[in-house]
This record gives sequence, C-alpha cells and structure tokens, in this order.
Amino acid sequence: MKSSTRKFSRRGFVAGTTAVAASGLGFPAILGAQPAPVKVGLIHPVTGFVAYNGQQSRLGATMAVEDVNKAGGIKGMGGARLEALLGDSQSKVEVGVSEVEKMNEQGVAAYIGCFQSPVGIAASQAASKYNTPFLIDVGASDLIVNRGLKNVFRLKPGFGVCVDQGVAALGALNKAAGGPAKTAAIVHESGEFGTGTAKLLAGKLPSIGIQPKELIAHDNPTRNFDNIALRIRSMAPDIVMMSNYGNEYMLLARTLFQQKVNVAGFFSVLGGGFNYKFVKEMPDVSQYMMDVNHWYNPRSDKANALKKRVEAGGALFTFEVYLSYSNVMLLAEALERAGSADKEKLTAALAASEFKAELMPYGPTKFVNGQNRGARPAVMQSLKGDIEVIAPEDVSSAKAVFPRPKLG
Amino acid sequence: MSRTALLCLAALAAALVYPLLVPNYLVNIGMLMLFTAFLGQSWNLAGGYAGQTSFGHVVFFGVGAYTSTILQVTYGWNPWLAWPIAMLAGGAVGWMIAVLSFRAGLRGSYFALITLAFAEVFRILANSVPFTRGGLGMLIKADQRPENFQFKDSIWIYYLALALCVISLLIAWQIARGRFGARLVAIRENEDAARALGIDVFAEKVKVLTLSGAMCAAGGTFYAQKYLYIDPSIAFGVDKSVEMLLVTMVGGAGTIFGPLIGSVALTVINEATRGLASVVPALKNVQPLSLVVYGVMLVLIVARLPDGLMGLFRRRPRHA
Repeated sequence: MKSSTRKFSRRGFVAGTTAVAASGLGFPAILGAQPAPVKVGLIHPVTGFVAYNGQQSRLGATMAVEDVNKAGGIKGMGGARLEALLGDSQSKVEVGVSEVEKMNEQGVAAYIGCFQSPVGIAASQAASKYNTPFLIDVGASDLIVNRGLKNVFRLKPGFGVCVDQGVAALGALNKAAGGPAKTAAIVHESGEFGTGTAKLLAGKLPSIGIQPKELIAHDNPTRNFDNIALRIRSMAPDIVMMSNYGNEYMLLARTLFQQKVNVAGFFSVLGGGFNYKFVKEMPDVSQYMMDVNHWYNPRSDKANALKKRVEAGGALFTFEVYLSYSNVMLLAEALERAGSADKEKLTAALAASEFKAELMPYGPTKFVNGQNRGARPAVMQSLKGDIEVIAPEDVSSAKAVFPRPKLG
Repeated sequence: MSRTALLCLAALAAALVYPLLVPNYLVNIGMLMLFTAFLGQSWNLAGGYAGQTSFGHVVFFGVGAYTSTILQVTYGWNPWLAWPIAMLAGGAVGWMIAVLSFRAGLRGSYFALITLAFAEVFRILANSVPFTRGGLGMLIKADQRPENFQFKDSIWIYYLALALCVISLLIAWQIARGRFGARLVAIRENEDAARALGIDVFAEKVKVLTLSGAMCAAGGTFYAQKYLYIDPSIAFGVDKSVEMLLVTMVGGAGTIFGPLIGSVALTVINEATRGLASVVPALKNVQPLSLVVYGVMLVLIVARLPDGLMGLFRRRPRHA
C-alpha cells in the first residue's frame, strides 16, 4: 500500500497538472493557429488470412501520410496535417463495417481500403450513409464501382480491364511465337475476385484462338495443390492461367513446378503472389512465369525512389504498397483542390480529379462512375530472379520469353 | 413479480434506451451483439438443450441468406415477404439433415461432423450452381427504405436485432419451462434412458433441429439485408458456426440467457482489446495482439468456468 501511495507525490502531481494545464490552456493561441488535422480512415485486413497484404497496404498508406505531412500538409487548408486512423477488418465483412462506423464517430474525412472485395463492397456501402468518400486502394471486383454509389472511387483497374489487357497481351505473344498455345486451364480462388476473373477469361480467350479446357476453383486458404496439379498435368493444356491470393498462388506455382507440369506458359491475371518475395524465394519456380497485375512504372524516378525507401526499411515493394500510397496522394490532391474536408466538396473534387498517378503506368486519371478510366495493368515476367515489365511497350523493361523452355 | 422478471424488464428498458444515448458506432456494436446472441440461441436450442452439438449450423444461416436474396434479386420479391420463406427453407434443411442423420443413428461427435460436412456441401453447391452466381456472390441493390428492409438510420436495424433477440429468448424460455424442453433435456442427459421413459427421441430431435434451422435462417436473411452482399464463403463459412457455438459455450449452453451473456462478454472483450491496441501508442501497430488477448481470455473463461458465465449466477447447493 505504501509504495502505491508514494507514486502520487505532491511534486509529481504539481508537475503533471502544470504540464496538462500548459498544454491545454497555457498556449491557446498557438493551438488555435494549427488547422485541425484531416482524419483518414485506413481499413485493411492486418490480421486474418490475407494479413500480409493488409499490412503492406497499411505500410504504403502510412508512408504517404508521413510524406504529405513532411511536405507541409494540405496547403489549400492552411497546412492541415493528415492523421491516419488505423483499422483492422480482420478479413471479415462485419468488422470492416464496424470500423467504418467507429471512424465516422471520430470525424473521418475519407476512407481508404479494404483489399478484399466483399469487405470493400460492404464498407463503402456503410460509408455512403454518411456521404463519406471511400477510396478503394485494392479490390478487384467490378461490383464495387457498378452500384451507383457516388462516394466510391477506384484508382486502380478492376478485373474487367485486367482481363481485357491480359488477353490482348497473351494474344499478341502467342501470335508472335507462331501460336503454340491453343488450350488453357484456369485455376482460380473461389471468391468474387477469382471467379469473376476466371469467367471473364473463359469468355474472352476464344477470341485469341485459345480454348479454355477447364475452370478449377479452390478455396481460401488451400494448403495442398497436389490434386489440382495432377489434374492439370493429365489434361495437358498449353497455358495455365491463375487468379488467386498470395499464399495459394505461390503454393500452386511450386506444386506445378514440382509435378513438372510442362506448358508453353504460366500466365496469371491478378496473381496475388507474383511479387518480389516470390521471385527471390523461388527463382526456379518463378522463372518465365507471367502475370497481368498492378505494377509500378519502372521508368518512373518517383516509383524507383519509393521502392528504395521501402526496401531500405526491410519490406518488399509489393503492389499494395504503391497502390495505397497513391490513394493517399490522390486524396491529398483532392483536399488541396477542395480546400476543405467537407464531404460534398471532397467528393466533387475526387470525381473531377486529374491526379497524376505516376507511380504506376497509368494514363491521366478520369473517374467515370467511380472507376478511373486511365488505369491499366502491366504484364510482367519473372526473368533471372527479377520481375520485368514486358507490356505495355511504353513502360516495358524487357522482352518476353514465350513459349518458356521445357522443364527438365 | 419475481426478481428475474424485474431484471429482464430493466435489461429490456436499458436495451431500448441504449441506442438513443450512444454514438452510431456503439449502436452497431450493440446490434452485432444482439444478432450474435440470436444466432447463438438458435444453436443453443439444438446444441444446448437437446445436446445435439453441431459444427455446421452455418448451413441454415446460409440457406436463409441465399433463399431471401435469390427471391429478392432474381425474382423481385419484397425482402419482408422473402424472410418467412427463408425461414421455411432453413427449417426444411434442418428437418432433412435431422432425418438423414438421426435415421442413420448418428450421435455425439458423429452428428457434429456430419453437420460440418453438410455445411461444406452447401458451400460447394453455392459455389457451383448458376442461380447463386457462384463465387461472384450476390449483391442486393441499396435502396434504403424500411419497406425494402433497409434502414438509413442504424437505430432501426438495432431494434430489429433486439426484437429477434427477445423473440429467441422467449422461445428458449418457453422451451425451458415446457414439456418439450424437459424431453430435450432428458435426451441430452441420456438418450437411451429417455427412450425407455417413452420419449420419441427421433421425433423430438427432428423437431428441435427444424426449429433451430428456421431460426438460424432468419438470421441469414437479416445478415444479407444488413450487409447487402453474400457469397458462399460468407454465407456458409465455418467461422459463423464457430461464433454461434462459442457465444453459447462461453455464456452457458442449455440456459436461456447463455448465448446473450456470451455474446455480450465476447464482444466487450473483443472491442476492448482492439480499442487497447489503437489507444496505447506502443501497441498501435501490433493489431494481432488484440486477438492474442482475446484468445487468452477465452481460454481462461472456458478453463475456469466449464458451465459458462451463467455458472457464476447459479446457486450453489447447500452442503449439510
């Protein structure tokens, strides 16, 4: 008992209360001169089965918030600082919506999230009740922007655009190589993003002379792909196409390699695991694999500088990082033009945005029904333990190797 | 009026006033709490009172969610009208699973596993058949009008969850004090002895699973209308089954208020630990810590209170 009462000494009490009084009451003029911070709600799945992706998204967004503040905040609002409110959706729809409600109480000006399409759909719907802008940093489903919600904006391309450009790129590669690919097996995760992508692919592949042999769905998480790999080997397609999340992508790729599934090419659309981690940790497996996905512009100095910073911090420069980073910058630019965090003005500023998303190989930003029409994916290939952009040509860094050499 | 009745009335009054006094975020948390308690109660009827532990109760939730959503989205039904149909569908699936399982003599862990298998089968079916749109999921168009089962003000969805919770408590109360409940408890304690006493064990188990399925399906429709999007993983995912089982076990299986107490306790622990992680600067970037704390507290409750939190309120027998 004695020791606990000693903690509250007279001297300590006086010092503490003086400090509180000084900070809260003693300098009202100084505090009053500071414009109120603009609160940005960052909702990502930092726990749950896509926790790594969520943590990467959070990393990119918080780096951008720091950069905006270091550069003097939002000048159009008297140098107001951005304040990140961190939310964890736990990969659950209910929790994502709960975070929206919580942050709304905290006076959030806009939300950025949510990595998973179902969470993004429900969370942005909840935000629409308060007319609060919701920027989808990652979330491939085209349902997100096809609901007529005026508060939803997506800077990145959806799976529809990725499939269109992926099919066009594959068609060009196949034609240039003399048409070695005539059939394809499509493996996809069973959720909204994988199924949607796979169905679009199956519908569009015949237009480039490739017939889809089978669509194979798998659950999340799946920890053994032996049966799927053996099924693919027995059907002997020319191309294997994948659309799934990170862990499943890498595991499937490794199993196909182990089972020596020989095809002209592995060509994924939104392959969640096609990143530096994959090519560095599994260079043999990843060699010659191709992916249509979000990617940074290798010719952009800003993108390369950010890549160096991220890697210097011990993290990988995955697409979540620069997409979330770019979304914070898009919001900051809209706040500058709106000159206010008023939700209506901010929504109008976002809708009219011509933000230069220079980290990615995008054209000028133009939102139509919340979707940025200037967004486009890149086609990459893993070559010698690195990732090279093979299309579009104006940002490419290497020539594609197709068909891939046979496995020994 | 008994002390319990007075306490119940006071709690109901507090629950009615609660959303008028707190911000929307806490209204939403309250709604989730009541909704989870309702789902837990549906599990409690079969698992708690009748002792038919199910690991796949989500199958009824999913059937309810999909039935009303398909009727609404594909056939243009009003969701209020689709709701009872969803309950009927959930009850029918409960009846089917009960007849198939109990006719085959499945009990205990075998019954628990077969329910899990049924949930998986339904999830795979929902992923495969065209009328559910497979993995693409089903989106309900936002049209925030009460006649469309959507509310602009979250207070109304809270009151709806409260109504569901109260109805589920009344059903549990009715069962607990009636002959049906006595027969279920007899089956739970010793199925062979119950049969020897003349109880039609098969019929009683089928009845309770049908009722439980219908209730759980009502929860599925409620969920679909609240979040306006379902897919096979959301509707038939195993985590919902675990949630129903967990709140009941933590609160006290086979008791009227167990699921409600469990739901309140787990929500408070979850929110408090998440809040801690966002308030304490050192823990700001350690979100998973909240899950660790949540898990530890769960283990402690289960280990120290095998009868659940309701065990704390039970009068201890007097020793001579």
